[in-house]
Amino acid sequence: MAGRAQIATKSSALIAMIADEDTVTGFLLAGVGNVDLRRKTNYLIVDSKTTVKAIEDAFKEFTTREDIAVVLISQYVANMIRFLVDSYNKPVPAILEIPSKDHPYDPAHDSVLSRVKYLFSAESVASGRR
Amino acid sequence: MAEGAGGAAANGGSDEKVLDFLDSVDSYLTTMESLAPILRQGWFDLASARHSMGVFRVSSASLDLKDHSASTYLQMVGHESDDSFVGQPSFSLCKWASADNKSCCSEEEIPDSQLRHRGTSRLSENQEQNSNGDDSLKTVDDLVKKERSKTLSVFGTLVSPKLRTAQLSFETALEVLVEAANIRSSMLSAYSQVQKQMEDTREGEIGPIP
Repeated sequence: MAGRAQIATKSSALIAMIADEDTVTGFLLAGVGNVDLRRKTNYLIVDSKTTVKAIEDAFKEFTTREDIAVVLISQYVANMIRFLVDSYNKPVPAILEIPSKDHPYDPAHDSVLSRVKYLFSAESVASGRR
Repeated sequence: MAEGAGGAAANGGSDEKVLDFLDSVDSYLTTMESLAPILRQGWFDLASARHSMGVFRVSSASLDLKDHSASTYLQMVGHESDDSFVGQPSFSLCKWASADNKSCCSEEEIPDSQLRHRGTSRLSENQEQNSNGDDSLKTVDDLVKKERSKTLSVFGTLVSPKLRTAQLSFETALEVLVEAANIRSSMLSAYSQVQKQMEDTREGEIGPIP
C-alpha cells in the first residue's frame, strides 16, 4: 500500500530452540541460552516424556515473542506438529528445521520447501499452459 | 516490433526472477546439507565429553536456570510497517557479546579493518594505530575467551577439551544456520515475486470479462 510508512530497523533478537537434549545443550554452549526474570527460557528440550501439546505451546510462544528472530526445531519434532509448522507463514521469526542425531534432514518434509515446491508441481505447470 | 521487444524484455525480467528463485532454493538446500556434518561433529564431541566428565555433569540438569542474557544473538535488519516485518529481513550473528559491554565481541558482518580500529581514536601515526589495533584485537579475543569460559563453567571448573571443541562446532553450526535463515528470506521473497508474476500473466491471458 502506498500510504504505509516502512521504516528500516535494526534490532537484536534471540535464537529459540525446540530440540533434543544434546542439540539444545550444544547450542547453549555456543551462548544462545537466555533466561529472563520470570525464568522463561528461549528453548524447550524434547524427550520421550514431552507431550505434543507442550511442543505446540512452545512453538506458539516462540513464534509470537517479539524478541525471537529464528526458531530452530528438530525436523522430527516439527513432524509431530507438522500442521502448525506448515501453516506458519510469517517472515519473522524464521523457522529452520534441523537434523537430529537419529533423524537426518529430509528436504521433502521441510515446511518452507513444501510451500515453494508448488511452483514445480504439475498443477502449476498445467495452469500456466492453459 | 516495439511490442515484440517489450515482450522479450518482460520475458527476460521474468526469467531472471525465476532464476533468482531457483538459485536461492539451490543455495538453501546446499546450506542445509552442509549443516549435518558440523552438527554430527558437535554431537560426537559432546558424547566424548560426557564419557570423560560423567553423564550427570554434561546434561540438561547442569543448565543454568538463573536469569541471564544470551551472549550470542542476532542482529536483524528489516522493514517494519504497522508493527510487522515486511519484505526481506536479514540476520547477522553477534557472538559472545559481553554482559558488561553490550557491543558484540565477534560480529560476523564487521570487516577486519573496523575491528582493528575499534580501540583507536584520532591517531595519525601508523605504528601507534597498528599497536592500538593489536591491543583492541587482544581485548576482543580476551573478551571472547572470557565469555566462552563463562558458558563452559556451567558444567564445572575443569571441563574436557572435547566440550570446548563441541562448543566450537556448535558455534560454526550457528553461522551456517544464520546463513540459511538469510537464504530462506531471499527464497521466500523471490517466490512471492514469481508467484505474483504468474498471477499477473494469467490475468493478462484471461483478459477482462465482458
